[in-house]
Formats: sequence, structure tokens, C-alpha cells
Amino acid sequence: MQETVADSAKGATANEVSPRGSERRKLLAAPRASGGWRLGDWPAAWLLIAPVIVLFGIAVVFPLIDTIRLSFFDIKGLAKPKYIGIGNYLKLFADPAFRNTLTTTLIFTLATTAISVTLGWLLAMLCAFAPRRTLVFRVMIFAAFGISEAVAGYMWIGIFRPDAGGLLNTVIGLFSPGFSHPWLGDPNTALWALIVAASWGGVGLPLMLCFASVQAIPRTVLEAAYLDGARPGQIMASIMMPLSLPGVRVAIFINLLGALRAFDIIYIITGGGPVRATETVGYFMYRESMTQFKLGYGAAATGVLLAAVLVISVPAIIQRTAGAR
Amino acid sequence: MTMSAPKPGIRRRGLLAGAGLALLLSAAPGFAQDLSGELVILQWQGGTDAELWQKLEADFIAKHPGVSIRELNITAQGDARGGIRTALLGGETVDLIINTWPAFRKEMADAGILRPIDQQWTDNGWDKVLDQSWKDLGSTDGVTYGIQYTYGDRSGIWYKTSQLEKAGVAVPKTWEEFTAAIATLKAAGYATPIPMPGKYWAHGEWFETLLLRTGGVEAAAKLAAHEIPWTDEVVKTTLKKYAELLKAGCCGTPEQMFAGDWDWSADQIFKADAGNFLLIGMWMNARALNDYKLKEGVDYNIFQFPALGLGHDDTSSVDAKELLATANGANPAAADAFMGYMVSADATKILASYGYASPSKNADPALLGPAQQTATAAVAASKVQFVLGDLLPGDLVDEYRVQLQKFLQDPSDANIDAVTAAIEAKAADAY
Repeated sequence: MQETVADSAKGATANEVSPRGSERRKLLAAPRASGGWRLGDWPAAWLLIAPVIVLFGIAVVFPLIDTIRLSFFDIKGLAKPKYIGIGNYLKLFADPAFRNTLTTTLIFTLATTAISVTLGWLLAMLCAFAPRRTLVFRVMIFAAFGISEAVAGYMWIGIFRPDAGGLLNTVIGLFSPGFSHPWLGDPNTALWALIVAASWGGVGLPLMLCFASVQAIPRTVLEAAYLDGARPGQIMASIMMPLSLPGVRVAIFINLLGALRAFDIIYIITGGGPVRATETVGYFMYRESMTQFKLGYGAAATGVLLAAVLVISVPAIIQRTAGAR
Repeated sequence: MTMSAPKPGIRRRGLLAGAGLALLLSAAPGFAQDLSGELVILQWQGGTDAELWQKLEADFIAKHPGVSIRELNITAQGDARGGIRTALLGGETVDLIINTWPAFRKEMADAGILRPIDQQWTDNGWDKVLDQSWKDLGSTDGVTYGIQYTYGDRSGIWYKTSQLEKAGVAVPKTWEEFTAAIATLKAAGYATPIPMPGKYWAHGEWFETLLLRTGGVEAAAKLAAHEIPWTDEVVKTTLKKYAELLKAGCCGTPEQMFAGDWDWSADQIFKADAGNFLLIGMWMNARALNDYKLKEGVDYNIFQFPALGLGHDDTSSVDAKELLATANGANPAAADAFMGYMVSADATKILASYGYASPSKNADPALLGPAQQTATAAVAASKVQFVLGDLLPGDLVDEYRVQLQKFLQDPSDANIDAVTAAIEAKAADAY
């Protein structure tokens, strides 16, 4: 606890108005103080911002608009595209395979986000009681976030192997000799196996975000609670958890978006199967666009996925920036 | 399929014809000695197959030192067509494309990507080394685009000899013997005599050969062209035969079948000794030779699909690989030369060393191992049909495989009706 308070004090100092902070604000306010931007500043400003705008246009805006354009065409393989208006979208929502992916995506997204963020948040709380002693542990957990999903996928295939050689079956076999279950071959367990694998890689970021939020709690608040005789559990439940909620919200937002767009790990571990039990919208989009090369149809699925991403991200961005000047 | 072997002995007329042919070939651009420049090959194969190609290319370059070869590698898991389309639509220019899907050849030909090779076929003397049936197989709408360089039996069942010997099982020749062998092997301790690879596509192999043996090549060809519906009685009878295997406990639970692809099944048989039979293409031969280091004909072997007794036991499913020349390739002369090289004696020798048969009359069958010779002889004696999955439109093939997975989950008559109706619904939209 002593260590926490000491560390929290550092965090509190950093959050208070420091000379560096005030200088930064002065610098930001400088043009306004001298009468706002002058006309002569604009060319330089545009010149500086132009590379970003050009790159953003090429890498994000153009592909986005072109994908939406493609969704109005019937494109099969290498044949010439035919304009069909909203035909792809109508077909998409009548397609039982796509409707199935919506349910799968919802389960996958909510479950991976819930597991990753809850675990990350709880671990952050525990780590906050001994930040220095848990440094290595935090680095190890965060390292999983940095591992390629393809590599992680192959690792999890080894864990979920259907025979007794699979790590999970081996561990269960210690208590129940001869046990073996084809986790990835069973439509009832494949999605949950995938959720566990995806959540494993997703814990690191919530851990770091929540940990940073806890570290930002003013020292005085923690000291007051400590002096009033609050126990560590009470401090965690009544102070640390509520005050770290901004970090949790950011973690939920990032994990939701990541899970919604998930593809790599599904491609490697299950390939969308068995019997399409693990096919999410992201994988459906790949299958239609790349395996069957129905680019227009796949683009329509991309449009739906984009809409879902916007529904989640726009309110979150508005909420995050509402207080900004 | 008629596979005639070269006649022994050289006669004067043959010698003169050979000299004339050599003169003709030397004048043809594909065989000119002053070939030069870069030849770009679109390559999507990996592992042992990629190694085989390195050897073929090196041998070709040794014969044509002025030519350099660059492989444009496509990374793909499963069906490589998506990657090939992406490369071509992305503006990549290649001289040659390795292809194994007749439906994809038509797609590329319709898009104007391919260069017809009818002229080269006669000018370069390929008609002397490949039977007309192979030319037909490489043709789309009457135009020849592909030169077939290897083919494989897809109705052969691989097994490990020691397992059958220990269990006292003889190679089964009829369906009844086969189902009896499954029962014997189960009694001998093999829980899943057929480790069915149901994860992606390989579970379709059993359906496709059973279809041929039930309805013959005519029914299979009509189904591929959707001239008969998937709800046709021949399809349902085929699935009922397939159901007999499943009900005999051949393949474990559906969950076990869905857990692995064919390579997993191969490992179960040839490495873990946990299974016995695998119906898969001839690439299994390369895997057994190079990955498991087994001795062909001694440690493992192949037998042709057992006879069903429904009047179509002289049929086999085959696949083939071909080279296609592109219309915009920068080096058509080298491309033609390479196509010709692939049916030469030297190339067929390299192919044979990797366990692959060649349709070329330049190939020496004696170079093939015992398993490959068995398969080659079986194909030669059969009415053949190209593997069904590669003939179906991409849209349909995916649904077909998923519905077959649903059949594996429940092989009842009621579900057979449901599964065939679902494939037919997709087929109605796919053609």
C-alpha cells in the first residue's frame, strides 16, 4: 500500500498544473492571443498538413469510397462488373449464411470484449497495489497483445488439438484419463475456443489502459481512504474501480472494434467452420470477396461491417471529445 | 482413358519423321536455342511441390541459359484461386499460370487473360506426345489453352501395409469387403479406420467417387453442369452409400471429422498409427515419400476404390495440373518452350522422382513407384471424370462442402433430403 501511495503521489503530481503544462497551454493559445491565425499562416499550415491529408486520402478515403461503389455491382470472378443498385444488400439480408454470421459476430464481439476487459481491469487493480513488483507480469501480459494473430492462432491450435496430445486435453486428462475432445471440430465448442484464444491476446491493452487510469488517481484520495482505515478491498471497490472507469471505457471501445473486425485468428484456427459455426461478418466478407471472388457481394458485407463500426465508434468519439476545447 | 505407351525400336521412317520433327521444332519459336529474357510463372504451390518446381525450373534454365525464371508467389491456404485473381486483377503480368481447375480456366479465358495454344500444339509436336483426350481436357469452348503436365488418381485409397497385415485384412476389392475390413480393423483396436478429413473439403472425395460408381461419368458430368438437379435420385443413392460407411462407425464422431484436414488424417494413419484408410489425391505419395520417409509399395500402398456392383465400377475420378499461357505475357517464346519442356522426357523424370505421373508419352512408367504404377494403371483402365469440386462454380462448391458437413452430422434419409435440397437451392442461383 505504501508503494501505491508513493507511486500515486507521482501520478498526482503529473496531473496537477505543472510549469511544462502551463507553457504548453501558452503555446497553444499564442495565435489566439495575438489576434488569431493570420492569412499568411495558412499556406504553411496546409503545407504541413498536406502529407497527412494525401496519405489519408489514398490509404483510407479512396479505398472506402471504392468499396462502397463496388457494393452496387455484381462482380463474379474475373468477369466484367454489372451495376445492380442495392441488389447485393437485399441478397445479403436474405442470405441465411450472412444472417448466421450476424449472430456469431455479436456473440464473438461481446464475449471477447467482456472477457478481455474484465480480466484486464481486474489484473490492473491487482497490479496497482504493487506496481514495481508486477512490472514483469504486466509486460508479459501485454506482450501477448503484440504477438501476431497468426502465430497466436497456431499456438492455440496446439492447445485445442483434438487428440490427447493437445495441451487442454492433456491437462483435463490428468483428472480424467483418456479424455480427448475435438474442441475446434465441435460446433458447440469451436466458437468458445476461438473466443478464449482471441480474449487471451486482447487482455494486454485493457490491462495497460486501466492500470494507467488507476495510476492517475490523485494521491490525496487514496491517502484519505487509507487514513480513514479503508481496507485494500474497499479501496479497490470504492475508489480505484470507479475512478478507473474512463480507462475501461476506452478499453471497451478499442476491444469492441477489434473483435468486430476480427479475421486473422478465425482464418488460422477454424477457417470459419465447422459448418460455419465460427464465421463472423469479417470472415464472411473474406470468403465472399477472396475465395469466391464475388467482390460486389463481399463489399456489401464490408458496408454492413462499416456501419456497425460507425454505430459503435461515432458516439464514443463524440463522448470522448465533447469536453475538449 | 486410353494411355498408349511408346513403341519400342526405331525404324528408318521413324528416324526420318524424327529428324523432320526436330527441324520443325528448331524453327518453332518455343524451341529456338536463342531464347532469352525473363519468364514469369505464377506459383501458388508450397512445400514439396514448390521444391519440385525449383528443380524443373533449374533444369529448364540449364537447357536455355539465356532465360531467367521468376516465380510470382501467391500465398494461399486451401483454394488458391482468390490469390491468383487478386494478382491478375492487381496488374501483375505473368507468362505462365499453373492451374488445376477447369472452371477457373474458363473464367480466365472468358476474361481474355489466356492465349490459345492450338497452333503451338501442332507446330511444336505436342500432339505427338499427348493424346487427344489430354488436349480436350485442356480446352474450353473448343479452344486449347492448357497443356497437362501431371495427373492423378482421385479414386485411390492409401493405406499402411503393416496395419492391414497385423489385422489380417486383405486389400478389399468390393464394397462388402471394404465394410467388413472396417469392422475387422475396429475390432483390432482402430477406433476410426477412416480418419475423415472434414474440416474444409476432403470429405467430398468420398462423395465424388461414390457418385461415379453409383451413376457413372454421365451422371457426374450432368451434375457438374447442373443438367440434373442435386435432388436427383442418383445423388441421394450416393449419399445413402456414404451413410452406410458412417453407420458402420468408419470415421468417428462428426466433431472428430471436422477437427482436421487431409494432412491431419494422413498423420493419423502414417505417423500416429491411429487410422487406416485415406481417400485423397496423389500428392499423398509425395508426402509419404518426403515427409514420412516411407518406402512406396513397402511401407504404404494404394488400392482402387472398391466395386459397388451398381454397373459403374470402371470409373475413376482424376485431377490434373496444366500450364496456361497468358495473352499479355512478355516472353511468349520462353513460355511456349517451357510448356514443351514440361512434357519432355527430362521433366517427366523429375516429376516421377517426386511421385507424380505425367500424361506425356515421353514419360517412362518404369520410373514410377509401385503405388503410382497401380494408380496409373487403374486410371488407364477407367472411364474418367474430372474431380467434381473443381468443376462446380465457386459459389456452389462452398455450399456443397458445408452441406456435406451437415450430412456427416446426420446421415439419415430425412437429412439427405434436406442437404440435397439446400445444395440445389444454391445451384439454381449459381449457374
